[in-house]
Amino acid sequence: MDHGKKKNAPLKKAGPLENKCTRRSFLKGVSIAAAAGSAGLVTGGCGSVASSEEAKLKWDEFFKKNYRLMTQEEKDATVARLEKLAKLRYGLDVQVSNQEPLDNVLYGYAFNITRCKGYMDCVEACVQENNLDRQSKTQYIRIFEMDSGQLDPTSGDGKYFHEVPVEDKFYMGVQCFHCENAPCIKACPTKATWQEPDGIVVVDYDWCIGCRYCMAACPYWGRRFNWGDPVVPKEEINTKQHYLGNRMRWKGVMEKCTFCVQRTRQGKLPACVDACPTGSRVFGNLLDPDSEIRFVLKNKKVFRFKEELNTDPKFWYFMD
Amino acid sequence: MNILTLRFAFLLLPAVMLLNSQLAIASQDSVLDRIHAADQPFDNMQIESAHQLPVKTVLAKESYQGGTFRVLARKDAISRYRCSVCHTKKTPQARDGALLTHGDITINHGEGKNELACIECHDRQDRDFLVDMQGVKIDFDHSYQLCGQCHFRPKRDWLGGAHGKRVTYWAGERVVMNCTSCHDPHSPAFKTKMPETYSLPLDE
Ligand code: HEC
Ligand code: HEC
Ligand code: HEC
Ligand code: HEC
Repeated sequence: MDHGKKKNAPLKKAGPLENKCTRRSFLKGVSIAAAAGSAGLVTGGCGSVASSEEAKLKWDEFFKKNYRLMTQEEKDATVARLEKLAKLRYGLDVQVSNQEPLDNVLYGYAFNITRCKGYMDCVEACVQENNLDRQSKTQYIRIFEMDSGQLDPTSGDGKYFHEVPVEDKFYMGVQCFHCENAPCIKACPTKATWQEPDGIVVVDYDWCIGCRYCMAACPYWGRRFNWGDPVVPKEEINTKQHYLGNRMRWKGVMEKCTFCVQRTRQGKLPACVDACPTGSRVFGNLLDPDSEIRFVLKNKKVFRFKEELNTDPKFWYFMD
Repeated sequence: MNILTLRFAFLLLPAVMLLNSQLAIASQDSVLDRIHAADQPFDNMQIESAHQLPVKTVLAKESYQGGTFRVLARKDAISRYRCSVCHTKKTPQARDGALLTHGDITINHGEGKNELACIECHDRQDRDFLVDMQGVKIDFDHSYQLCGQCHFRPKRDWLGGAHGKRVTYWAGERVVMNCTSCHDPHSPAFKTKMPETYSLPLDE
């Protein structure tokens, strides 16, 4: 990992617009200088000479609006283009959903710190589900091994690799908390990140300019930056994607946990919850008084991390 | 002109202004306010994509929030079921028979004089069933009834959703794992093992 060097490079260099490689291949396809460096490239990386069809698709992608300002037709059109581009580049039949939030649903999450054993099945499932970069080993979830009595993950070990659980330790998972009053959203100069009506904080990768202000603003290490083009082996690509979720990202954009928007809006549990062998992760609709998450909030001893910052996270810790 | 400035001027700026005006009307309520205000049950069955699971489940003999829920069935997962294949009325009392046939089962459940004996859970007369303290038979698919007699708190939490877990969906009909989906009844503690993966240091 050589992040130190890149960190000192001028910010612009990291942005998708400076991606020389894709810019050049793109220019070969279309001879219009103004369109150089299509930020709308879904697939990232340096491909072969773009076909004219691919170039046209990228051209249209470049000039699309911020997702929140698109009409349904425009959303359908961009999704269709992204699916086409994935087909051209990978030969994969990708489904990019633009499914809207469900009415009367506000997602919430609870994590049982007495039950988690530190097995990290959740982390692995998240990587697979969300097409996370295998090269730099991007992970949305972090599990800290903690001494009993401590409740601040900074005091724990986030890099353990030994038989778990270790006696007298407990395990605490941290990921994006989908704050109701999210500092990351306020920090974004291009409004490329926002909270959806169902409470999920999302990123429009096409509008992110890679300034990383959101990353600095997040007190919970919730955001991940693509220093390079994410690498996912073709056979491991999850083809069930969402525009605001696990579709392919590229160099220079920010990404983060989306509560697996591609799953949750279908009524499914996020991949981490589904994968947890101990049942330490509870997920559901905060607006449903009969939901399990509401049972936890009502009947268990719960707390939120750094509550005093007024970020109002929708992620609670609880114990037995 | 720099392509970044170009894009910003023509595309981003108007968008940001528009979004700013939209954001001005966003609600200021805290999550807890919103939770307290929400007292109408949500119709979980309306979400059609929450399909029925392709695994065998049974209707639980308990209730969840006044309604019903389902539990993962167990009998198919029990390799030696039906037990009555061998355990007939007149079982041949083979010497070391238990050791030969159930030698893989060691009890590590309760310590010392609290260590559980086979017949505290298995029906002596009808091995195809478990048995509770009153001598009432319990179906293997409903073993949570057996465990719940001694483990009151985990059972209550399991009923509510704070112990154990749902299968696949948060919406649709509630389906949860059985106690024995996670716990080996003979040795119920979770084992130590290597984690699935590891993490690199975070870049700040
Ligand atoms: C392959 C034949 C076979 C099958 C199938 C079988 N058993 Fe047995 N089991 C035996 C024999 C033989 C014994 C020893 C004789 C006895 O105590 O009846 C035994 C003994 C037992 C005992 C008493 C052990 C002791 O130490 O006293 C229990 C409890 C038991 N079996 C439960 C079960 C249950 C529950 C099942 C079904 C899930 C089952 N067995 C299936 C052959 C079998
Ligand atoms: C705490 C209660 C309990 C005790 C004590 C207990 N069992 Fe069981 N046993 C169960 C339950 C519950 C199952 C079904 C497990 C499942 O759902 O997978 C089971 C399953 C079995 C099976 C079938 C396992 C398989 O996969 O084929 C056998 C055989 C068995 N028990 C034998 C015994 C014997 C012999 C003893 C005593 C040494 C014993 N049990 C003690 C609760 C108990
Ligand atoms: C007859 C009473 C009884 C029944 C029935 C019973 N248990 Fe237990 N269980 C105990 C006792 C006693 C202990 C040990 C003392 C303690 O930790 O509470 C124990 C301990 C446990 C533990 C903690 C183990 C550890 O070492 O940390 C688990 C998990 C557990 N039981 C699960 C189950 C499950 C699952 C079932 C149903 C298949 C079950 N029990 C049925 C009495 C029972
Ligand atoms: C999703 C998996 C899962 C299911 C389902 C589950 N448990 Fe547990 N249970 C756990 C884990 C993980 C622990 C912590 C285990 C440990 O420390 O070894 C635990 C601990 C326990 C303990 C030890 C005391 C405690 O609270 O730590 C008991 C008793 C217990 N469970 C009983 C039950 C009973 C009874 C059921 C069914 C009603 C059940 N469990 C269902 C995962 C599960």
